[in-house]
Amino acid sequence: MNGFATILPVIFPIIAGVALLPVKFKDRKQREIWVFSITLINTIFSLYAIYFADAGVVTLFHFSEKLSLTLHIDGLSKIFGTMVSILWVITTVYAFEYMTHEGREDKFFAFFTMTYGVVLGVAFSGNFLTMYLFYEFLTLATLPLVMHAMDDKARHAGKTYILYMMFGAALAFIGFVFLYCYSEGMEFTYGGVLIPELVRGNEFTLQIIFLVAFFGFGVKAAILPFYRWLPKASVAPTPVTALLHAVAVVKSGVFAIIRLIYFSFGIEFLVGTWAQNVILVAASITIVFGSTVALRTPHIKRRFAYSTISNLSYIVFGAALMTPAGLTAGLLHMLYHAMIKITLFFTAGAILYKTHREYLYEVEGFGRLMPITFLSMALTGVSLVGVPPFAGFHSKWALATAAVKSGNMIAYLGIVALIISAVLTALYIFYVIIRAYFPRKKEYAEGYYDHVEDPNKYMTIPLIVLTAITILIGLFPSNLLHVLELVATGII
Amino acid sequence: MDFGIILPLLVFFPMVGAILVYLIGRKNKEARNNLACVVTFLVLLGAVLLFGKHASFTIPGFCGLGLHFDGDELRVVMAILTSFIWFMTTVFSKEYFALYRNRNRYYFFLLMTLGATLGVFLSADLYTTFIFFEIMSFTSFVLVIHDESEAAIRAAHTYLGIAVIGGLITLTGLFMMYHMAGTLNIDALAEFVASQEEKKAIYAVGVLILVGFGAKAGLFPLHVWLPEAHPVAPAPASALLSCILTKSGVYGMLVLSCKLFLHDANWGNLILILGVITMVLGAVLAVFSIDLKRTLACSSLSQIGFIAVAIGMQGLLGSHNALAAGGTILHLVNHSLLKLVLFMSAGVVYMNLHRLHLNEIRGWGKDKPLLKFVFLMGVLGITGIPFWNGYISKTLIHESIVEYIEILHHAGQATTYMQTVEWLFLFSGGLTLAYMTKIFVAVFVETNPYPGNAAHHNEGPYMNRLSAIILVVCAVILPLLGALPQFTGEKIAEASYHFMGAHGPEHAVHYFAWVNLKGAVLSVVIGALVYFLFIRKVLMEKDDNGNMVYVDRWPKGLNLENKIYRPVLLSFLPFAGSLLARFVSTLTDGFVAVLRMLVFNDDSGRVVPPEDRYFSAYTDFDDKKVVYGEGFAKSLLMIGVGLAVAMLYILL
Repeated sequence: MNGFATILPVIFPIIAGVALLPVKFKDRKQREIWVFSITLINTIFSLYAIYFADAGVVTLFHFSEKLSLTLHIDGLSKIFGTMVSILWVITTVYAFEYMTHEGREDKFFAFFTMTYGVVLGVAFSGNFLTMYLFYEFLTLATLPLVMHAMDDKARHAGKTYILYMMFGAALAFIGFVFLYCYSEGMEFTYGGVLIPELVRGNEFTLQIIFLVAFFGFGVKAAILPFYRWLPKASVAPTPVTALLHAVAVVKSGVFAIIRLIYFSFGIEFLVGTWAQNVILVAASITIVFGSTVALRTPHIKRRFAYSTISNLSYIVFGAALMTPAGLTAGLLHMLYHAMIKITLFFTAGAILYKTHREYLYEVEGFGRLMPITFLSMALTGVSLVGVPPFAGFHSKWALATAAVKSGNMIAYLGIVALIISAVLTALYIFYVIIRAYFPRKKEYAEGYYDHVEDPNKYMTIPLIVLTAITILIGLFPSNLLHVLELVATGII
Repeated sequence: MDFGIILPLLVFFPMVGAILVYLIGRKNKEARNNLACVVTFLVLLGAVLLFGKHASFTIPGFCGLGLHFDGDELRVVMAILTSFIWFMTTVFSKEYFALYRNRNRYYFFLLMTLGATLGVFLSADLYTTFIFFEIMSFTSFVLVIHDESEAAIRAAHTYLGIAVIGGLITLTGLFMMYHMAGTLNIDALAEFVASQEEKKAIYAVGVLILVGFGAKAGLFPLHVWLPEAHPVAPAPASALLSCILTKSGVYGMLVLSCKLFLHDANWGNLILILGVITMVLGAVLAVFSIDLKRTLACSSLSQIGFIAVAIGMQGLLGSHNALAAGGTILHLVNHSLLKLVLFMSAGVVYMNLHRLHLNEIRGWGKDKPLLKFVFLMGVLGITGIPFWNGYISKTLIHESIVEYIEILHHAGQATTYMQTVEWLFLFSGGLTLAYMTKIFVAVFVETNPYPGNAAHHNEGPYMNRLSAIILVVCAVILPLLGALPQFTGEKIAEASYHFMGAHGPEHAVHYFAWVNLKGAVLSVVIGALVYFLFIRKVLMEKDDNGNMVYVDRWPKGLNLENKIYRPVLLSFLPFAGSLLARFVSTLTDGFVAVLRMLVFNDDSGRVVPPEDRYFSAYTDFDDKKVVYGEGFAKSLLMIGVGLAVAMLYILL
């Protein structure tokens, strides 16, 4: 029975989503009630499974002795699962209003609901095969969402997206095959599953394979040089970019990388090797790269997309330190960044929705007219920059501390990258906020301020809730840190 | 009674008050103004209550490492000073802002900044200091940009840029310190540093931490924001920036110099050199300036230099540093009080004329005895005329330099270096007199040859009774402090010795003995010479109508911000960065191009990004036709079918 509790949150939205596809709803309201109920119920299912059901390893399907599909909720799953479950409900509410201007909502919400189950599947996977499976599903389920607009730009973005994803999955698959050969079973275990006798003498090969798999998953985590799909995918409707490309999809990539490093290969095998140095360097370069390009991007959503690229690599950098402290810091930044970036995308979406303005020089002077939107942007923006006492400050502090403690010379280089990126972050975020609040011109062309006002409560309430949570977890990070530490040391 | 709880209250009460004030301000403007005054007054009361109580307070876990407050004497003196000046400016704001827009925003950020500033001054560990320091930087940014004029926006950007970069460098330093010492508690750090033999790394870290604080204090070479930002802010805000916010940087320097590097000659020397440069530079800039508030801002720069010199002397003098320690704290307090008076007077001028250019406001104060008196008090104080407060602190600093020269003399070491410092000190004092005379004469003595500019002030009094009372109260304090140093200044100095690690002086200082008066006289002579021979001859010229007017003779090229900082930060670095980023992304583009050729077998191999004829072609087709007819979608579908068949085969 408990096993069922684990399966349910994964399966239910997928079935519900498929069932929604052919349904033609009478009106908007009816659809909203259905979709919202499904999402809310599933969130309850998933939170129940995470916190109360304690099901252990649930086997879905048995191929052979070493190959099976299993679900298992461990500490890491709990964190990722909770984050996704909570943010999904909020985003759904936001999407109800936002999608009215994109059209074809029936299809959209069907796939959107399906994706929910798939992401939870990634989170709850008990072994590498299951994770790989859901990981592939995720690409397919999100493709229609990315291409929703179905114009040339969207199709181009969709194609880029799927090509990159398939390429990444192919690389990850190579990793999967080797892990299969060098391990007993592939259940995720903290510390790795490699069998030392088999590994001996093949270290170098395995390190190369690790790198291949790392960059395979790194495609979703948008690590250089595989980041191109992400800014392009920002043509998708805002709820999609917000949830999928700031939280679910990209964080799945990061999540898979953490699984790969800490639960498959194991840090003992990797720490101090050249492979670790390679991924540290890749992460550091991406951190600076993302921020630099973000600074030069005038399109607000794409600017945030590049910022996502930079921030994902903060998390990867934390994970790549291969110490519990590093993982703790990475996870902390993962949570913070999820909250912050989803809010930022929502604000960009709110501007787009109300005024159809997409470039930052077009939003001058809006700050006062859209108070809730821009206050949210300002508060989460300073959090992203890492102004104490807001959220981003703690995670960056933790990352830097962990980097110093790891004693790796390359990690010191990473700290420099963190600092440079912090300056750039400050520049690219404040630039938007300051222009919005302090316009340069006194007069604007007629019609400039038409329709510039806060959107209705469907969109403002998510913004307020998210901003409030961001500030609260920023002010009181102690308990959160404690839990993350337990996860990062493999205790829960 | 436990007074510890007052500490966090002092910090958070204004912040809560800010929100209240903002909410009330949307309904009733008068009530808001009064509430803001009440809030600041309560804070002042709270700060006074704390004096001599040695309270301390900790909020564990808040913001990660927890917040630690401490209320020893120096910190409480700073808190009282802060809340006093805040109270005065808030009351003054009522009239000053009467015709302004966005007053709600102003009051909100005014009170937020008050809380943050008190947080800085009362902090017992550098982590807490830093948190509030950063909050303060950001909230005060809004005060600087308040006018939203082009100059204000530009200056505010500079301010924010320097605050952010300085803050991050300080953070790096703090972080390294935390790594080395395992704590950021100021007292524990002091012990840690004292116990270390090898200090090279600690000096490096100290310099990093100094950058952020020094930038806020206006220390060379990060002073560039100060002469820009102070004049463009509304007068009450410039008063706060000049009187208090710069002092938060000084507080950081004090923590470094009096705790971490206590009696450390090398460190003292560094601060001394920076201080001397700032002192002279600020004074020279002020002499050249032809804008009332800009002169005052440059003067602040110079006075901060005086304070830095005093801090540096503490390090050089070692354990005999009571004079320098007293000079530091007294000049700090005096400068705050003086600038309060001067900036508020400038505010009165601006409030009526909306102009600050010396040629335009010339002669406006001629027939306004009250304002003239108030301003004169400030002038006499800041120039260091005996019986006004500036004289006391300058004398102490001067004495400490003289004392060190004597020590060096006895030890048989070269004294040229310190004698240069002494002369530069007196020279800057002289320049202070020169530029203060310049603005005083311009505004209050001379007649304006073109009265049209300055004449049109509104009917009725040029300021209301409340503002007048505030100004007079602030002005009268100055000679009081100066004439009775034994009862006022020395008490403050004694209270602060504990923080600075100093002991009382061996002998009482005779402020009005000839030895000490000599310095002041020398400064006055230098000042008079500069004023009559340089300012009146070189910095003024005859215009077309034969009238003498003030001209700006400062060479345009000599501007650190425009010539170096802005080009490097805004043009060169972004260019280099994006060039690099471009290069990196071309790598992937090439990769994609290759893939595209291989996967699609495109005839020409050209990359045509936005359009797409392969992926799907829904729009080109009739709805009734089969949509998966050809192209990529069909291939995908076939792959899927193939995979399904293969799966079935394996399973069965």
